[in-house]
Amino acid sequence: MKCAHIEEMLSSYIEDELPAEKRQTVEAHLDACPDCRSLLSCLEATTDSLSRFPQAQISEDLLQRLHAIPARRKRVRFLPGFLLRPSLQPILAAATVLMTLVSFYTFNPNKDAIDKSINRQLHLGYRKAGKIYSRAEAFALSLGEHKDNILESIKSTKLFGRSEE
Amino acid sequence: MLVNTYSRRIFSLAYQFSGTREEAEDMTQEIFLKLYNALAKYDFGRNFDAWLLTLARNHLIDEYRRTKWEKKSRDDFNEYTLSAGEVSNPEDRMLRKESRRLVWEGFNSLSAELRMAVILRDIQGKKYEEMAEIMELPLGTVKSRVNRGRLQLAKIIRDKKGGNP
Repeated sequence: MKCAHIEEMLSSYIEDELPAEKRQTVEAHLDACPDCRSLLSCLEATTDSLSRFPQAQISEDLLQRLHAIPARRKRVRFLPGFLLRPSLQPILAAATVLMTLVSFYTFNPNKDAIDKSINRQLHLGYRKAGKIYSRAEAFALSLGEHKDNILESIKSTKLFGRSEE
Repeated sequence: MLVNTYSRRIFSLAYQFSGTREEAEDMTQEIFLKLYNALAKYDFGRNFDAWLLTLARNHLIDEYRRTKWEKKSRDDFNEYTLSAGEVSNPEDRMLRKESRRLVWEGFNSLSAELRMAVILRDIQGKKYEEMAEIMELPLGTVKSRVNRGRLQLAKIIRDKKGGNP
């Protein structure tokens, strides 16, 4: 059997987990192969060293920091809890939309085109408002011509079923 | 309560895995922060030790992959073993200390997965079944990783010692 195949079984061999037949195969190979014998000795020394590693000493400073974690979490949790109150949600939603629009406008590479478009829309808006205002003025003037007739009609109108005296 | 019971074990695992006290302290703190955040999701049908070690192991390996610790050096071995006391014979003590130093330095040559498997099995003394639960892997894969990790370490030590076990 090749050394590579024996190597795969050495760990189970030292832990005494190999079936009897495989154990005999490994032992027969070890008798004939000094390289695998040397590797087995190193493997045993390695596992022996590993099993004697001491637990590392933890510092007082770290212990204090670990004990402080739950209290720190409570302080950190206050902020999201406060922000998640239902009464604040419409305000936060509006702020989010506003921030999104502002950031879209601020960081858009076609900012100049957006500025022009906004100016054009504002200009069109002003013109429309101006037209409506001038029409309203003309309408008010035209009403002046029929002022007497309108007042007469209002006076003669029956209010709440009572006759005009 | 959690800190008193588990901090030393988690810190030791982090220290053996990362090799530096500074990294291990940061990792321990982050693991406990994750633990407090995940406690609400804990399934009471599951072994708590295994659940915590799964959380710790996942965090350590994720951080290792993110920061590539293998390029960093490990702490001086003497500092790590100050509290290790065993073996009455001074010559044996020196030889074992030298072996542990080589193993400690050899850890950096192992991949994260193999290193974790060897630490859990040979330093932390976990059973293969517990490891399969912690590592969320089939039993055969866990055994294979432990075997490959040990073999790699054994070969590193054999090469450093010039072929003498």
